[in-house]
Amino acid sequence: MTGTLAMESEQAKYLEAAKEVVKREAFNMQRCLDKGQLMDGLRHATEMLNELRTSILMPKSYYELYMMVTMELTHLTMYMSAEFIKENKIADLYELVQHAGNIIPRLYLLITVGVVYIKSKECSRKDILQDLVEMCRGVQHPLRGLFLRNFLLTSTRDVLPDVDETSADTGTVDDSIDFILLNFSEMNKLWVRMQHQGHSRDRTKREQERLELKILVGTNLERLSRLEGVTVSKYQNHVLPAILKQLINCKDSIAQEYLMDCIIQVFPDEFHLKTLDIFLDTCCQPQGAVNVRNILISKIGRLSNYAQADPSNIPEDIKLFEIFSGKVTQIIQSRTEMPPEDILALQSALIKLALNVYPSETGYVDQVLQNSFNIFEEDKSRAKGCSTELSRMLRVPVDHYQDILTILQLEHFTPLFSFLDHRIRKELCVYIMEHVIQTDTYIDSHDQVDLFLTMMTCLISDQPDQPKEPEDPEDFELQQSLVGRAVHQMTSSVPDQQFLILNMCKKHLLNGGDKRIQYTLPSLVFRAMELCRVYFELKEEDEKWEKKVCKILQYINSLLSALVKAEYWDLALRLFLQSALICDLMGIQTAETIAYEFVSRAFAIYEEEVSDSKAQLVAISLIIATFERTINFSEENHEPLRSQCLRASSKLLKKPDQCRAVSLCAHIYWSGKNRENEGSAMRETKRVLDSMKKAVRISNQCMEPSVQVQLFVELLNKYIYFLDNGCTDVTQAMISQLVGKIRDDMPGLEASEATNQIVQHFNSTLAYIKSKHGMSFPTS
Amino acid sequence: MADDRMTQRLAPKDQTLQEAYDIPANFLEIDVCSPETHGIANKRYTDYEVRLKTNLPIFRVQECSVRRRYSDFEWLRAELEKESKIIVPPLPGKAIKRLLPFRGDDGIFEEDFIEERRQGIEGFINKIAGHPLAQNEKCLHMFLTEPMIDKNYVPGKVRTH
Repeated sequence: MTGTLAMESEQAKYLEAAKEVVKREAFNMQRCLDKGQLMDGLRHATEMLNELRTSILMPKSYYELYMMVTMELTHLTMYMSAEFIKENKIADLYELVQHAGNIIPRLYLLITVGVVYIKSKECSRKDILQDLVEMCRGVQHPLRGLFLRNFLLTSTRDVLPDVDETSADTGTVDDSIDFILLNFSEMNKLWVRMQHQGHSRDRTKREQERLELKILVGTNLERLSRLEGVTVSKYQNHVLPAILKQLINCKDSIAQEYLMDCIIQVFPDEFHLKTLDIFLDTCCQPQGAVNVRNILISKIGRLSNYAQADPSNIPEDIKLFEIFSGKVTQIIQSRTEMPPEDILALQSALIKLALNVYPSETGYVDQVLQNSFNIFEEDKSRAKGCSTELSRMLRVPVDHYQDILTILQLEHFTPLFSFLDHRIRKELCVYIMEHVIQTDTYIDSHDQVDLFLTMMTCLISDQPDQPKEPEDPEDFELQQSLVGRAVHQMTSSVPDQQFLILNMCKKHLLNGGDKRIQYTLPSLVFRAMELCRVYFELKEEDEKWEKKVCKILQYINSLLSALVKAEYWDLALRLFLQSALICDLMGIQTAETIAYEFVSRAFAIYEEEVSDSKAQLVAISLIIATFERTINFSEENHEPLRSQCLRASSKLLKKPDQCRAVSLCAHIYWSGKNRENEGSAMRETKRVLDSMKKAVRISNQCMEPSVQVQLFVELLNKYIYFLDNGCTDVTQAMISQLVGKIRDDMPGLEASEATNQIVQHFNSTLAYIKSKHGMSFPTS
Repeated sequence: MADDRMTQRLAPKDQTLQEAYDIPANFLEIDVCSPETHGIANKRYTDYEVRLKTNLPIFRVQECSVRRRYSDFEWLRAELEKESKIIVPPLPGKAIKRLLPFRGDDGIFEEDFIEERRQGIEGFINKIAGHPLAQNEKCLHMFLTEPMIDKNYVPGKVRTH
């Protein structure tokens, strides 16, 4: 590190010293010129130019010095233009400056004078230009030569003959082309040769320096592209072949990559179109471009943009995609050492081309996918370690189409997944699935669902290549919830088709194993219930609706059985109850049987598998609530179930739980419905009051006073509810008895937040009773 | 038309593309590296790897590596002075002071000193081997390419193979 720092300050010192000399000599030159002493002026100019002979400066510092010197030279040019043109002594001067002792100052001066000469005497142009570009061969030191030739190119910028010149004497555009091409090939040679200067261990440092200088070489191409006289045919027949000849033969990847890119950037699109074949053939040659990837991608990108800007830019007979696709395949096959990431980058570029230029031709995209598949299938080792790139390539059509259905049409999309690492494959699946949900795309046939879920298999079931250790539970839950959400995108507006879709989903999702189904199956159950409702709505139009509904119910049953088998008790219990409601809604014989079965399965789970007392209360409350909502049970089935509810409630372990559950049962007798009642509530007042009394009795047995009072208040509220709903058998006596009890016990409670709440609840209840029913209970 | 005499030049010889872009025909690189200290007490010495890379036809091999110690370089220098007509550049000086006893440090086996000497002899050998006349000397070839130096060799010139 200190080495480079020391070197940098060294450089700065050398540069400073050189600049001092340049400043001084430039000043002296100017002074002599002002006095009209040309010879002295030239002497100082030579002294100044001598500074450019240095070998010590690095490219960056040399550039700075070069800029300064050439700036000063413009004064000389101006002086000569003014003084000599009129006296016509410029030819002598052209000879004179060739007496400078050292080649660097000699050639800089020659170029300076030469340009003035051309400006003064047009007929000399062709010869002078040729002389200058030939003479520059005298400097073979790479750095000095590159800058000298750059000076030549920039100085002659305004004097090169272009399209409007026709006289062979003064030169035509062909002479300009040859002039630049010669300068270009010489500069390229010097630039490539830099590679061989110095110790081989400094290679990377030299490559860095070369990259800093690349623009000097590229300027030649840029100048060529600005010649109006370079027409398509001149470009095709002369300019491009000459450039490519240098590129191929230099066998230098830095030069090839930069200059190819330079060609692509500086020449117009029509030129590229016309010369696509020759350009691509050059890339394909085995000793041609070393780094073909970036070059091709850049070319594809350029023409793809051109075509996109206006499709008519591309003539009918130029099949861009076919040409590029053919060449890319050829290159990949011939270069077995090509790294997979390069292969994929090229394929991605082709996909983008197909998508942008031929949006309606999904076949093109599929063809690229197929080619990629074949390449990897042929030699599996080529796919190693490039999962990220492959996945990136596969995302391109996903992002472009914004429509999973089109992706599903690509036959060779999913097969490529097999070359992805497990982790990357999963990420891609998640990406696609999120995409489907975000774009709210519906997958509306069971075939497509099959294709989609096959594509997503990595999320749906265990994979042979997945890591041994279980993955992060949070991630897993997120992924599986995503699958559950995606189920809702698999929707057809045709009910029969929807049923096929559901069956297809089931087929795939049941492969998920115990740990996945808890996230995925509930979605299917709800989708199935939804479908039942659809058929129910259609029962006037579809005479087979009963049969179809029964099939769906069986379908639900099989899903729930899978959850039971995997011992997801809570989930199964809730889904059984929910499903029972749907069965019941159907109002048909077979459905009732199934509904009964569902409720009884829920009971079975409740009795056998729910052990925690809190969970038991929740479960029985759910069962009671569900049962209360049913409408189509026959009395034959209704009676045993409601008795069961009551029995189960009174068997709960804790008294408060018993009390609450039993009081809930009262609702069944009040507002429960069965088929015999034809939709009206049971209104079995006696049983309602029996249950309520039983609940009061149970709360009497509570040992904890505060809980007891709380229960009383809750029961008081229940009484009021029934009274409000027209249960006239609830008497004031019953209520005042309860109120009395509460008042008796209340003072004995310990002061606490809970007690406060009870008191408040009680007072609010009393206020309500008073306002609604006009009852008041004065304290005795 | 410009004045003919002004731009009249000798026609340059055309360069082929191969000539333009091939690696130079006089590539020669000698690295002196990986110093190692061997032996104990009086027999202690340091040697270096001398690694040659070249495409000059005068060398029989394009790559070669031998181990040499400072005294071998002294021998080579003496042979060249004797046999060739070139002015042989000096070697980095002998470290007389460092050889004195009762020093606090490791004397000539200090890392800094070894590195300094390595740079010196690397410069020396590259200068010599780059000289066309020295390239003909048998002693130089033996020094760079034979595993052992035969000090009883018959001096002579090497011809291009």
